[in-house]
Amino acid sequence: MNRRTFIRRGLWGGLLLAVGSSIGLASWPTDRSRKPRRGLRAIDERHFAILAAVAARMVGAPKADPIEIAHRIDAQLALGAPEARADFGKLLLLLENALAGLVLDGRARPFTHLSPAAQDDVLAHWQRSSLLIRRSGYGVLRKLTQAAHYAAPEAWADVGYPGPPQIGIPS
Amino acid sequence: MSQAIALHKPGAFVDAGTLADGATLKADVVIIGSGAGGAVSASQLASAGFDVLVLEEGGHHTRADFKMREDINYPMLYQEAGARATKDVGVTILQGRAVGGTTVVNWTTSFRTPAHVYEHWRSAHAVGGVTVEQLGPHWDEVERRLNIQQVSLDETNRNNRVLYDGCKALGLAVETTRRNVKGCMKSGYCGMGCPVDAKQSMLVTYLPDAVARGARVVSRCRVDKLVVEGGAVKRVAASVIGDDGYNVSGKQITVEARRFILAAGGIGTPAILIRSGLGGGMVGRRTFLHPVHGTAAHYKDPVEPYYGAPQSVASHAHADRGDEVGLFYEAAPMHPMLAAVATPGYGAMHHGAMQRLPYLAAHVALAIDGFHPSEEGGTISVRESGAPVIDYVVPLRVRKALLFGAKTLARINFAAGATEVGFGEFPHVLARNEKELDRLTENYDVMKLPLFSAHVMGGCKMGDDPKSSVVRSTDLRHHTLENLHVVDGSVFPTSLGVNPQESIYGLAHLISERLASAWKT
Repeated sequence: MNRRTFIRRGLWGGLLLAVGSSIGLASWPTDRSRKPRRGLRAIDERHFAILAAVAARMVGAPKADPIEIAHRIDAQLALGAPEARADFGKLLLLLENALAGLVLDGRARPFTHLSPAAQDDVLAHWQRSSLLIRRSGYGVLRKLTQAAHYAAPEAWADVGYPGPPQIGIPS
Repeated sequence: MSQAIALHKPGAFVDAGTLADGATLKADVVIIGSGAGGAVSASQLASAGFDVLVLEEGGHHTRADFKMREDINYPMLYQEAGARATKDVGVTILQGRAVGGTTVVNWTTSFRTPAHVYEHWRSAHAVGGVTVEQLGPHWDEVERRLNIQQVSLDETNRNNRVLYDGCKALGLAVETTRRNVKGCMKSGYCGMGCPVDAKQSMLVTYLPDAVARGARVVSRCRVDKLVVEGGAVKRVAASVIGDDGYNVSGKQITVEARRFILAAGGIGTPAILIRSGLGGGMVGRRTFLHPVHGTAAHYKDPVEPYYGAPQSVASHAHADRGDEVGLFYEAAPMHPMLAAVATPGYGAMHHGAMQRLPYLAAHVALAIDGFHPSEEGGTISVRESGAPVIDYVVPLRVRKALLFGAKTLARINFAAGATEVGFGEFPHVLARNEKELDRLTENYDVMKLPLFSAHVMGGCKMGDDPKSSVVRSTDLRHHTLENLHVVDGSVFPTSLGVNPQESIYGLAHLISERLASAWKT
């Protein structure tokens, strides 16, 4: 991909983000059954529900807790620039958006209303997309959710990581 | 000597949160940034008798804070809580943010700048004021202070050893690295801050040296802008960072000085200039990242890539590939979070790969970007909030090199006994032998290779032609503002082809000696 192609895809991506957060089938309400357990710092409850739904598919560990993962990402976003928070919110709405899904993937339901298998198909579409914004968006959501799960000590034994060694701290 | 010397306060590490809102501090020299460039400069200038004040956006964290836990120490010690990336999110960037800068979290690999790099800068970028011959004694001194020594082969962990053995089997040049450590316990947690102060980072060397000689190091202090009046920088306007370590508290301070040194790194330094209305020209241009793609190799016996010195072996066998982009190869430590990020896929596939973590060997190919005339690197801009953005669309030729590098690393691992080697997100290449590797990489779309970086270089390039550079090379002075210097990795006109820390230390040591000499007269 040369720079001109990138710019074209970048513009198309910008248009998609706008569609994702505004028009038509986007008004189909999000399934908010995944609710926060405590106050949110960077995102709202709709974003949270979408993010937790994504985490439930991205992180394959049997004991993963998508609600806790979404809380950890919310806390991380609270440390970032306000523009980064806003972009992340738009990304979640683009994934959720039924209209963009209908146009590009042939699905007419929001992400949070899909079956787990159908959600996996959406993630696969994003992972393999020729659109940079979808590939990048997939990468952001994958890395944030999986990092939030595996960074915590509760995840270590499952992957055979014994944890940090005991080190005698010199005085 | 200025009058400020008479008012010189005892050196100290100061948390900006303890300062009063609206406070005005004064010094001879203000240094913005406490990493490799800022710390060495602070120590040298304080030793020469100047009243030095260092401003650092990150917190002053010490070994007791370094818990060897990714969930605690990445948000504490990395820019954007570990989530920094290029504008299109195509390259994830690991960059430190703390008193001591990236030196607190780097993997200790220490190289002098290769001689051919300065030769290229002289001929292609008009860098006439610094040579490797001049830098030599300064590198000698830095290496003494930081105890930089070559690792013996029996000190390497298996993750590094397979890289060494595989290179030897294929006839590729490979060596153990030199590391800036003293009393290293080889725990493997350099990237989360050294829990035993064995790593000779700026936090435990040049910054304490500077403080012992009277310098003040003010942490949690974000420089918003330099204020220019009458053709000179007069003061710095800064915000105090709040208790969460990132968001501003609402308190503001001012720092007045006669001379100013920017040392906020390849992203921070140009961002401050732009916020100060001093952008344009080459400011925020030619930012290079050593773009990286990594491989994950699986072995029958445990590798335990989370323990042992993270980097102790490097191969520069492909650093010079003629007209093609050069590469070098190193190992990468893998703790669960980094492994999760580096492992492609989602759901059961990702989890299955994660469960093989103890048997994983992880290596990286780093592309040496910026040497071909077509490679202009990235650009830095600032968002409405003032936060920096790096826009770097990694060119096709660099990406092609990284595919070559990933395939080479796969071959190295096969030669060392790996049962399977993988790379790429989608298509994900997972090969059990060279034949499969060749088949799976035929017609591979290199634009889809996910990339990351741990080396930010350039963005305020040095050179003796004001039209094509930001600072002159002999003393890294801004071309038009006589009391402003830039002393950090942002002055490099290209990438380096080696891990950057020692290149910055040596240059800062030389330049700050020249500055001290010039300013005393």
